[in-house]
Amino acid sequence: MTATTPARGGGTLVGTGSLVRMMLRRDRVKLPSWILGISLFWLYYTRLVPTAYPTRADLDAIVGMMGGATGRMWTGPTYFLDNMTYETFIPAAYGGYLILVIVLMSILLIVRHTRVEEQTGRAELVRASVVGRHAPLTAALLVALIANGATAGLIAIMMIADPIFSTGGSLLFVAGCFASGLAFAGLTAAIVQVTEYSRTATSLAAGAGLGGAFLIKAFGDMGHEHGTLLSWFSPMAWPQQTAPFVLDRWWPLTLSVAFAVATAALGYWLAARRDVGAGLIAPRAGKARAKGWLGTPVGLAWRLERRTIMWWAIGLGVLGMSMGAFAERAVPGEMPEALLVVLDGAENITAGYLAYMGVFMASIVAIYAVLAMQGLRAEETGGRGEPVLAAAVSRWSWLGANLLVGTIGVVVIMGVAGAMTGLGAASVLGDNALIWEVTAAHLNHVPPILVVLGVAALLFGLLPRATGASWALVAYGFIMGTFGALMDLPDVAFDISPFEHPARMPLEEFELVPVAVLVAIAVALVAVGLAAFRRRDLDVT
Amino acid sequence: MSNVIETTGLVKDFGKVRALDGLDLGVAKGEVHGFLGPNGAGKTTTIRILLGLLRADAGTATMLGGDPWDDAVALHRRLAYVPGDVELWPNLTGGEAIDLLGRLRGGLDKARRDMLVERFDLDPTKKGRTYSKGNRQKVALISALASDAELLLLDEPTAGLDPLMEAVFQEVIRDMMAEGRTVLLSSHILAQVEVLADRISIIRQGKVVESGTLRDLRHLTRTTFTVETTQPASAIAQMPGVFNFEPNDGQVRFDVDAEHVGTVVSALSGLGVQAITSRPPTLEQLLLRHYGDEMAAHNGERAEVAR
Repeated sequence: MTATTPARGGGTLVGTGSLVRMMLRRDRVKLPSWILGISLFWLYYTRLVPTAYPTRADLDAIVGMMGGATGRMWTGPTYFLDNMTYETFIPAAYGGYLILVIVLMSILLIVRHTRVEEQTGRAELVRASVVGRHAPLTAALLVALIANGATAGLIAIMMIADPIFSTGGSLLFVAGCFASGLAFAGLTAAIVQVTEYSRTATSLAAGAGLGGAFLIKAFGDMGHEHGTLLSWFSPMAWPQQTAPFVLDRWWPLTLSVAFAVATAALGYWLAARRDVGAGLIAPRAGKARAKGWLGTPVGLAWRLERRTIMWWAIGLGVLGMSMGAFAERAVPGEMPEALLVVLDGAENITAGYLAYMGVFMASIVAIYAVLAMQGLRAEETGGRGEPVLAAAVSRWSWLGANLLVGTIGVVVIMGVAGAMTGLGAASVLGDNALIWEVTAAHLNHVPPILVVLGVAALLFGLLPRATGASWALVAYGFIMGTFGALMDLPDVAFDISPFEHPARMPLEEFELVPVAVLVAIAVALVAVGLAAFRRRDLDVT
Repeated sequence: MSNVIETTGLVKDFGKVRALDGLDLGVAKGEVHGFLGPNGAGKTTTIRILLGLLRADAGTATMLGGDPWDDAVALHRRLAYVPGDVELWPNLTGGEAIDLLGRLRGGLDKARRDMLVERFDLDPTKKGRTYSKGNRQKVALISALASDAELLLLDEPTAGLDPLMEAVFQEVIRDMMAEGRTVLLSSHILAQVEVLADRISIIRQGKVVESGTLRDLRHLTRTTFTVETTQPASAIAQMPGVFNFEPNDGQVRFDVDAEHVGTVVSALSGLGVQAITSRPPTLEQLLLRHYGDEMAAHNGERAEVAR
């Protein structure tokens, strides 16, 4: 009899341990990469600042840029102003971004191990075995705890080992990172209960949750050097309000912990009120028929990309606007020496700053270009390319349509980013001509992005598995554009990067030759990619 | 004779694995051709070569008088394809996917599309990611069947459909046969092929091992008889071509090779037959004949392992 009677007790958490082990096993590459990447990112900034601003005078010079309302919007409260040192400045200026990536890791981790599992139906298989109702969510939260703990631990070791930082402040700083990761893990645990699709959950948690928290903090902190009441409504503000190395107060973190506990509890409460696989909000019905334009390869590519293009344009538009508004601070005397080198315009620093914005945006938009080609690769391997190519669609028109839409996307995103950067600059400098000038400067940097798109297209046709190798060019271009001038490098190192060739408008006059050459290179790369794709097997399993 | 599909000696390697090993296939105009074989036999690879999605390493293929690789687009205007594993765009509705695929092929018949949506009982307003496998299959089927293509390439088209929908599918295919269209129907669901196909090719390990009408193939196998006689029928067991003789509660049951059916029936008539049923061989039996040796070898291996 005992063999046939189900075991009682243990109840809703049975199997949590095995699930934790399974999740860690599945993430055995992903999580260590995240943790190591985040730690190296932090190590890089803690090393960069003393190198870029070697003297006391350099450090004081940044205050002009970082200490104002726009600076606070980007970084956070400026508790360091009374005692500006590397120790007080670095965590305040860059800590917010460290927390941002840690939070992002936590959000993706929770979505990956909860909603994605349910959406794919794997959760059903798991839950049908001896696994309690709350075990999957508990296991995911435990893995988030482990991941955040490992990240915080690694960063703590690095900071304590660094003579710049004192031990007490370092521990408070990493505790803030840890608590923020958990706060958003909790929030995500609640959000994944609501939606049926993992992508909706990710956009809600990362967009509305993290993005909202970042914006509230940004606007709250603009008002006062220690932030305003509005700041305190953002979970992103709490770790910064501990003012590590300055006030060293721990109590704001109780808010983070309470937030984590409350949102996770909400997650459990919601989970108990729905079926496996279902969300609390039913998905909306769509159109029963396709619109007239959705019937060509270009129409399909546009349909699949338009929303992405729109969000990129909005995101970089907002980024551009606030960076444009920063132009006011880009005045000689308020800028450190190293920054002048990067901006390449000691005599006309504003124009140099705005010209650098174009290069910077181009290297960001190049990410979009690579993602667009990787998206097409996913269409191919995911089996959605097959029915299209089995219709009366040639290889050329399929790849060509996607490249066309990718190019349109690049132009639109760069145009919007440029116009908004120009608008931001024009509004603080009172020179409306800047709107057009900066837009033109940004569009002048479209051809290097097209070269990146061309490289991705070439790889897609020739070595489809290596399409992702085009990331190397994006990374190289970014490093050369942003830090290249600080390093003593031979000219050829710059010449390799396509981003270095267009004229740096508005600092320099427009030059046709480099732009024309870049477009020609892009066209040649695309042509070879198209020809190669026409000749190879479709990669379907 | 005008063959719509004709391949000779098709070879396709994926790395070290030989997926097709000299495949010869002929599909005549206006027939439903069953393309039968177990998973991994090379059915999908053959169809993808016919679609110009893969390039054969050796051999020739012609389809609708053209070359599948060089004339892909022109040929695709005249055919419709349903993949075995239908993947849809997660954020497009089923209705949008039906229209899109139809238009990419060169247009589809709206009235026919609506009729098929109705008959297959599909909700076209749901997003692709919410559909079950069966519903994704319906989307691809409706889009293909709503076209006026002269050739249909269907790769296990009803995997995931319930029996009711399977019946609808069979009706629609019969309509298409009446319109004189050609269908290549790949399947490992034997009953489906048996019901619809005029001719059948059995593929195994990248080769067509048997091809012909169901009747042709049945000549190669045995019919099962169940007989009730007034006199003992045990003598039948000794006749040539009789196998698996089993007396059972006044009845006897046995299998007879096709060429010996005549003599066995004459022998039975002298025994006072009170009831007789005969069953033609099923495709399971046809397949077992081709894969039987493989299964026997497999069982042998297992037996060795067990020892």
